[in-house]
Amino acid sequence: MLKDEDMAVADGGSYDYGLFVIGAGSGGVRGSRTSASFGAKVAICELPFHPISSDWQGGHGGTCVIRGCVPKKILVYGTSFPGEFEDSKNFGWDINGDINFNWKKLLENKTQEIVRLNRVYQRILGNSGVTMIEGAGCLVDSHTVEVAKPDGSKQRYTAKHILIATGSRAQRVNIPGKELAITSDEALSLEELPKHAIILGGGYIAVEFASIWKGMGAEVYLFYRKELPLRGFDDEMRAVVASNLQGRGIRLHPGTNLSDLSKTSDGIKVVTDKGEELIADVVLFATGRTPNSQRLNLEAVGVDVDQIGAIKVDEYSCTSVPNIWAVGYVTNRINLTPVALMEATCFSKTVFGGQPTKPDYRDVPCAVFSIPPLSVVGLSEQQALEEAKSDVLVYTSSFNPMKNSISKRQEKTIMKLVVDSETDRVLGASMCGPDAPEINPGWNSPVCC
Amino acid sequence: MAMATLLSSSAAAVPTLVRALSLRRGGGLLHLRHPLAAASRGPLLRLGLLRPLSASAAGDNGAAAGGEGGRYDYDLFTIGAGSGGMRASRAAASLYGARSAVCEMPFATVASDGLGGVGGTCVLRGCVPKKLLVYASKYSHEFEESHGFGWTYGTDPKHDWNTLITNKNLELQRLVGVQTNMLKNSGVNIIEGRGKIVDPHTVSVGGKLYTAKNILIAVGSRPSMPDIPGIEHVINSDAALDLPSRPEKIAIVGGGYIALEFAGIFNGLNSDVHVFIRQKKVLRGFDEDVRDFVAEQMSLRGITFHNEQTPQAVTKSDDGFLTLETNKGTINGFSHVMFATGRKPNTKNLGLEEVGVKMDRHGAIVVDEFSRTSVDSIWAVGDVTNRVNLTPVALMEGGALAKTIFGNEPTKPDYSAVPSAVFSQPPIGQVGLTEEKAIEEYGDVDVYTSNFRPLRATLSGLLDCVYMKVIVCSNTNKVLGVHMCGEDAPEIIQGIAIAVKAGLTKQNFDATVGVHPTTAEELVTMRSPTRNVRRDTAAKN
Repeated sequence: MLKDEDMAVADGGSYDYGLFVIGAGSGGVRGSRTSASFGAKVAICELPFHPISSDWQGGHGGTCVIRGCVPKKILVYGTSFPGEFEDSKNFGWDINGDINFNWKKLLENKTQEIVRLNRVYQRILGNSGVTMIEGAGCLVDSHTVEVAKPDGSKQRYTAKHILIATGSRAQRVNIPGKELAITSDEALSLEELPKHAIILGGGYIAVEFASIWKGMGAEVYLFYRKELPLRGFDDEMRAVVASNLQGRGIRLHPGTNLSDLSKTSDGIKVVTDKGEELIADVVLFATGRTPNSQRLNLEAVGVDVDQIGAIKVDEYSCTSVPNIWAVGYVTNRINLTPVALMEATCFSKTVFGGQPTKPDYRDVPCAVFSIPPLSVVGLSEQQALEEAKSDVLVYTSSFNPMKNSISKRQEKTIMKLVVDSETDRVLGASMCGPDAPEINPGWNSPVCC
Repeated sequence: MAMATLLSSSAAAVPTLVRALSLRRGGGLLHLRHPLAAASRGPLLRLGLLRPLSASAAGDNGAAAGGEGGRYDYDLFTIGAGSGGMRASRAAASLYGARSAVCEMPFATVASDGLGGVGGTCVLRGCVPKKLLVYASKYSHEFEESHGFGWTYGTDPKHDWNTLITNKNLELQRLVGVQTNMLKNSGVNIIEGRGKIVDPHTVSVGGKLYTAKNILIAVGSRPSMPDIPGIEHVINSDAALDLPSRPEKIAIVGGGYIALEFAGIFNGLNSDVHVFIRQKKVLRGFDEDVRDFVAEQMSLRGITFHNEQTPQAVTKSDDGFLTLETNKGTINGFSHVMFATGRKPNTKNLGLEEVGVKMDRHGAIVVDEFSRTSVDSIWAVGDVTNRVNLTPVALMEGGALAKTIFGNEPTKPDYSAVPSAVFSQPPIGQVGLTEEKAIEEYGDVDVYTSNFRPLRATLSGLLDCVYMKVIVCSNTNKVLGVHMCGEDAPEIIQGIAIAVKAGLTKQNFDATVGVHPTTAEELVTMRSPTRNVRRDTAAKN
């Protein structure tokens, strides 16, 4: 189990560490902790904490904790209340006076929580015996990492194995005026709530922010290139999500791109590729994220990347350099926190646990926290029809949830099962409706097995 | 390609599928054609929740297509159109072509010897209205939670009880109509009135006699009250769901799920709630840790528990307030006293004793594994048989019965790993064995627990916590039981129940990637056991 460490010592030319990790996000922290538990001597470098990431700012916990999953979920909770207040009327509740929303309070409480979690992550690493180094790491050679510290100094560390877990960053579309747009980082920390928000993007981030701002009272316009948002998801579910977004008052602009942003006294003037003009307080680009691999000096060391900059790895997360590994978003496999955690655990088992383990990407569930939310696992109907060897049975149930029978909200819940008619195996399950993300996880074990 | 095959092969095999059962309230399914289905993919036959089945009526025990047709009015006559009765009668008619009738009393919110309603307890005086009241009462907690998320109100939200009860009753009326239509659309004949068995093949309703090859008793149960002085001042759950006004201060006697659910409901609607239980803890039969956890969480929300107290009398004073006397003392000032101390099978006055249907000492009808009573042609399902008194179990029993009698496929209901929930606040979801039962049956078990403050609570600042427990057989690694208490537990436990019933192992759970961020993912990320119980090993050593 300890053979790598022993070998390092026995080699004579011993390394500072058995493992050096660049990036203390989901994958990096899991990889360092588990490797340390196998007896490895581990160090991890991470940029100083800030809610908005940059070349010099990041923080322990990474995107998920600081500017992704966690703050997003907090905002989704916060934005759900007005809908609930509305629903409560027919249950007998009367909110006689004004309902006031203090965005700054929510922002403050959100920041407090991510700061707390950031500290928890540091404590977890400390308790696991991992050495924490603050600064930006990059490769010098296949066994050396150089960390540029906040005070300007640089220090080099040698390691038998290096794990790159630097994640990804939001990208901006290259159109005139793009600097006027914000990304999800800023969106999670806006000083003022927008009254008019334009969102460009069709993925889950765009859809979630559309729901968040709409719930908080903004006029929201969602622009995306395809006919429906959430490309890659089950087509029927995509249509349901779109219909729900509209039902909640979000204006959808399918098949439309933005071509120009400019500043005016009334706000940001947005011109679409159909010639339409709108004014918004905030324009959010949620058009994809790129792997954070540019400043790592990878080419010089021989670590291969693909055309978008994602680090190429084999099934064990090993890069083109035998002792350099990479997990999480920087490898652009399935970009979800639980998957980064799985990749990191498998990495540790392989390298330090003596148990070569490949992450299993089958039937990874995921959720989109729109309002109401969507949760899926396994194959979509389209995928099942393409991949299944026999006929496919599709079971759907579309119903008005009980709560709506009193609240009178016109919003149906849809559940769907896709089944192989010969083996009776459930190939996929999806649901769009309240509590879908909590309900679906229970389905994952049965679908996987 | 695949679609074309599906269409042609299915079309021949399932001519009746379009008429197959819709399993839920207003649940549109089966024949939905989604807008997307037409354009890019061609017509796609959508099948319902039931598998394609042969539509022909079964052999000699069931629906007689030609032969015995004239001898009896019906192949199946069901007394009681609640969950079990409706499922059996509809399945018999629509799946197997049996001539099916059901009798049910006129609708009322409070059940009596002459009043009930299509839909039964679940729809009219149980699960459905209870859940609606739970929804209504949860809002007060949500208003409190919202402050941490930045929301404030000019004046505190106020609740109008009448609006709630009126809307609840409107919904019940609608559901009676829906259920009635479901019966009609399945081809079941509905007869209004109270049924009584005259002989093994005859039921009398309102003086008229109906003969049937098979009789099904599905009359359910009703709240039972102890015979103590002042019991006339006490309300039961039927009445509690339909009170004319909100209780100011209510004593709820009982420690089971009904008592706890009502405690949560009234507490959420700002009543002063006191729960009196005979035992040391609430929810006898549930996992011990869950029993402790839920009581603690409910206390934190303001409910007062009085443990190890047995009610002895209820008195009403001149000012209208009620006093509850127990073996430990007296508390007065209650506007209402509610007893949720159990339910009794509705077997009185059905003619059962005379026709020879055996009952146990609680009055429950005794049945074999196929739900057959001591009289060959008489069957019973649901609460009246007092097996596992849950709607989905009654549905299972009713469905199995129809298969047995008319489908020529003797089918025993399977009671293993039946999940259930308690809609207390916070709610409970559970499936499989409690820790205590697991140790008893398996000896060596590993117990994984998690007790945490969910993300929502760290923002709201409230004291809400979540408790989860996974019990694993240490020899086979099978998950024997899962218990959870906390927000969304009932929704979370449904999928988990599939895994437990399928006999999945802890490895299967661990190999399952979680959905983040949710509460549910905690169930697939419990890495170290909290305790390893080695009763068998200890015994051997």
